[in-house]
Amino acid sequence: MAGPHEVLGMSRVLGIGTTEFLALYTDNGGTTLRSEADGPCVFLTASGCRVHPRRPLVCRLYPLGRMTDETGVERFGVFPAQPDCEAEAGHEGTVSSFLESQGVAPYLEWSRRYGELYRRMMGLLDRLDIQGKVDAGEGGGAAEAAPAGPGSAGSGQEPDRASHRAPDREPISSWQDIDASLAEYCAAEGSTPPREIDEAIALHLRAIEEWLDGLELQLGEVPNNPEGAREP
Amino acid sequence: MGKQEDPKTVSRRDILKLAGTAAAFCTSFGFLHGSQVGGIVQDKHLQMKWAQAEIKWYKGSELLYSAPFPVKVLKHLQSNETATVEIKLFRAGQLLRNLGTIEAKH
Repeated sequence: MAGPHEVLGMSRVLGIGTTEFLALYTDNGGTTLRSEADGPCVFLTASGCRVHPRRPLVCRLYPLGRMTDETGVERFGVFPAQPDCEAEAGHEGTVSSFLESQGVAPYLEWSRRYGELYRRMMGLLDRLDIQGKVDAGEGGGAAEAAPAGPGSAGSGQEPDRASHRAPDREPISSWQDIDASLAEYCAAEGSTPPREIDEAIALHLRAIEEWLDGLELQLGEVPNNPEGAREP
Repeated sequence: MGKQEDPKTVSRRDILKLAGTAAAFCTSFGFLHGSQVGGIVQDKHLQMKWAQAEIKWYKGSELLYSAPFPVKVLKHLQSNETATVEIKLFRAGQLLRNLGTIEAKH
């Protein structure tokens, strides 16, 4: 699994943009990291992980797995040891000391923030009467499955991405591509996309919030985040 | 009969983008919603190990025939490290001999 913020971090380690990273190193619509034909992660080399400084949360947690329920209660489990894994696993220490040693705190916080947005999206989809509130006059069908540009509800043009990519290598949503999303968002704002990873992630979260605000306004709802709302 | 007020609308494009983004976040973060229940974590190593398993028949050193494992057998071996499968030779419905046991961990 690879969230947009994790794609951004890994792409910076490799010195490439997120658009290129998604095309080269992800599968399943940009949601999972690609594996070699014989199994291992595409970033695993004889000398270790190529993106280790910005490795994703799931790699930082291994051999632990983390689950949270709807009330936020957190549980951890242990994956069975992989025969080929050369990592030394001990039984001393605590889960919290292990998490601290792996630097997971910011990743958990970003995951929580993206989770809030996910719940807003699902809430919107639940509230939408697909038959009654979709503007059928705007056309339809598969052509519109190509994601609209980020930021402006319904008006964006998708950046001209590599059209030769296989369908499962095309991100499901344009929001997964932070560089492209922020380039378009900042162009509309007349600003420059931030270079720092943390700032870029924070702006990415804000841009998605504003997009959701715009959709809620279109539905005649009070935006969940009225402070950041923009007219659609 | 009075004219009904036009309902507020959201474009089909935005609906698709909304659904696509929710699906992407669901997959890339492992988020679930409502009454959805998470699946059992699959052991990817075990899946890869058995993905191309075959049974081969030889006449001396000459390969006569090979066949991939049936999907049901494969899924069982890929399910967990303790899974086992016995292969038995039958003729006219009668067991001739047990050819051995395959263990998922091997």
